[in-house]
Amino acid sequence: MAHQAHAYHMVDPSPWPLTGAVAALLMTSGLAIWMHFHTMTLMSLGLLLLLLTMYQWWRDIIREGTFQGHHTPPVQKGLRYGMILFITSEVFFFLGFFWAFYHSSLAPTPELGGCWPPTGITTLNPFEVPLLNTAVLLASGVTVTWAHHSIMEGQRKQAIQSLTLTILLGFYFTALQAMEYYEAPFTIADGVYGSTFFVATGFHGLHVIIGSTFLAVCLLRQAQYHFTSDHHFGFEAAAWYWHFVDVVWLFLYISIYWWGS
Amino acid sequence: MLRALSRLSTSGFRSVARTRTGYSAPLASRCYSHGKVETEEEFDSRWVTYFSKPDIDAWELRKGMNTLIGYDLVPEPKILDSALRACRRLNDLASAIRILEAVKDKAGPHKEIYPYVIQELKPTLTELGISTPEELGID
Repeated sequence: MAHQAHAYHMVDPSPWPLTGAVAALLMTSGLAIWMHFHTMTLMSLGLLLLLLTMYQWWRDIIREGTFQGHHTPPVQKGLRYGMILFITSEVFFFLGFFWAFYHSSLAPTPELGGCWPPTGITTLNPFEVPLLNTAVLLASGVTVTWAHHSIMEGQRKQAIQSLTLTILLGFYFTALQAMEYYEAPFTIADGVYGSTFFVATGFHGLHVIIGSTFLAVCLLRQAQYHFTSDHHFGFEAAAWYWHFVDVVWLFLYISIYWWGS
Repeated sequence: MLRALSRLSTSGFRSVARTRTGYSAPLASRCYSHGKVETEEEFDSRWVTYFSKPDIDAWELRKGMNTLIGYDLVPEPKILDSALRACRRLNDLASAIRILEAVKDKAGPHKEIYPYVIQELKPTLTELGISTPEELGID
């Protein structure tokens, strides 16, 4: 039939789930090949396919929503549920690393000297760069909220400015953290302290980069008039993700940088 | 007594000369403005019970010790006895000796406390075969 008698979106057949699955297969087997035979070809191919899949899949979603009008209120509600469930799964992901940290730090083993920080570890001063990083992310939470209100009020220029500022703050955090990693007096190989520190903060940093990228895409879309004052779920999803990244940092800061020092 | 002696952290007005005999007023471990205050005896027996758990696991032992050492006091020999026996049940000699090192550290400038504690614990140390850091030459 020519018209649907419901408000939902029956998505057209798409090759991207398959290419995504193939990418996952190539990346994982490529990782194994890299480890045993020292060649990165398969893994790089998988990574390339993954990037292409993401680009084309999300481009299609933008086409379906912004240009073809498929994102009716019930569809948008489903997208909201989806983003919330995804972020919840990420919360559990980080919960695991916090579990590892607290397991190791509340009851430090004799090998560490029975104390935390372990014997021989010089921790970072929580009131130096880590505190600046906290301020940077909190400020970026303010600017992203400013951007949201600008979009809702139809203030195009302010939306672009505040969103740009948010992204710049995100980059500043990443740069500061990269410098901290380079200058740190301990490495990931330094016992359970190094492991918990770098795995937890490392995955957080990766999420900052992902979040910054998501916001950057929103900036490009805002510049190209994709968002309206009532309908801008892509931006809201990016903002939720960004707030999640900020909250994870606050927990990291309090637990690992401050209490753990 | 040990608690009163060790709490010289900042102010010097607490008398070092307080002895155990005749001193039975309850001391608060935390300075709350309200709520029930735990007596020294209650505090001690709570910790003796903690370490006496027959199936205490290694994590709980280490966690208990870290929490105990975090307090502003030197633990009573009876608590340490219970902890050392927990080490024995867990086959953890390293932690047992570490506990003795921690006690010496907690005493801080009060150099008479550590020898007193070792003296009180001597029967237990002999029974369980635990050497002191001094005997091992690692002090």
